[in-house]
Amino acid sequence: MNVENLLYESKIRFNHNLAKHYLKEKYQSKLIFANQGGLWKADQPLLSLLVSGASKKFILLDLNENPVKVDRAELFQKTLDIYHEVMEAWHQEWEELRNKR
Amino acid sequence: MKGVLLFAFNTDEVDYVKMAYATSQRVNNFLNLPCTLVTNKPTDYKFDKVTYLDSDSTNIKNHKVWLNKGRYNAYNLSPYDETLLLDVDYVVNSTKLLDVFSFYEDYCIHNSASFLMYPDFTQECISPISFRTLWATVFFFKKTERVKLFFDCVKMVQENYTHYANLHGMWSYLYRNDHAFAIANRILNGHIESKCDFIPWNLIHIGEKTTVEKDKNNSFKVILDNDKKEYIIVKDLDFHMLDKKNFMRLFCE
Repeated sequence: MNVENLLYESKIRFNHNLAKHYLKEKYQSKLIFANQGGLWKADQPLLSLLVSGASKKFILLDLNENPVKVDRAELFQKTLDIYHEVMEAWHQEWEELRNKR
Repeated sequence: MKGVLLFAFNTDEVDYVKMAYATSQRVNNFLNLPCTLVTNKPTDYKFDKVTYLDSDSTNIKNHKVWLNKGRYNAYNLSPYDETLLLDVDYVVNSTKLLDVFSFYEDYCIHNSASFLMYPDFTQECISPISFRTLWATVFFFKKTERVKLFFDCVKMVQENYTHYANLHGMWSYLYRNDHAFAIANRILNGHIESKCDFIPWNLIHIGEKTTVEKDKNNSFKVILDNDKKEYIIVKDLDFHMLDKKNFMRLFCE
């Protein structure tokens, strides 16, 4: 076993994981928003759920675990807008960090 | 009216009022909110308002006086309808905290934290046999009856800390606002955890064995104090600096 290679690889992965952790902490908080009396996180499960529903009104558990009756289309659009905006910034900063390393 | 409340009582070792002034500058810059200082002596530093409160020197940490008691007075001392109560070593570096004004009816507090340079940090509990610590570093509240009850409860816990320490298996000789707030929140919710009072993102700590340096504009270089000096550049993210000397070097010199 080449210990130098092992140390090098370990340091690279450490930096990589540290950067991932930092970006996750930063951008996950930006995905949270209030709408129609509930608190939501604009993530993939919420988007999937909203897009799969057929009815105009929809009852969902929000982040505080309260059932909230929402206008599905309105919440979907708001969620999608925030998701795109935040994930675009997250991806861009991730690419910048990767290129720097 | 919205605003920020900062408690700062100077000790022989730390100029907390100077730290509060630095924090108030960042609050003005990022959140565009007025700041009120709660302290025990007149100061030359300019705040929107200064309110006086006698400090309680009965708490000892690492053989030194820790003037952290009396936080329950925030409800009566705040001149604002909606208040952000911040520790003076909390570095406001984004507009994120403005969200809490629209998210909550009464109050909110962090129930989870993360160390920026130590991703494997496990959540702290007030004791090995009890529930999670709440972090009084950032506390948002409106002036409602429920919030008044909360602060009355914090006062009760502070004044009977030995009893609550025995009850929850905590160390009784060191009073922590984090623990008093956690116990008060628990009591107020009928001894059941309620998600409704928690800020839905982590409080970011930058702890010991980590150095923070200014990078450019509002970004910071956070460096691990090890042989390899790994670092990350942090921007647009608030953080809580546990190392007061590092905070003073960064913002007060």
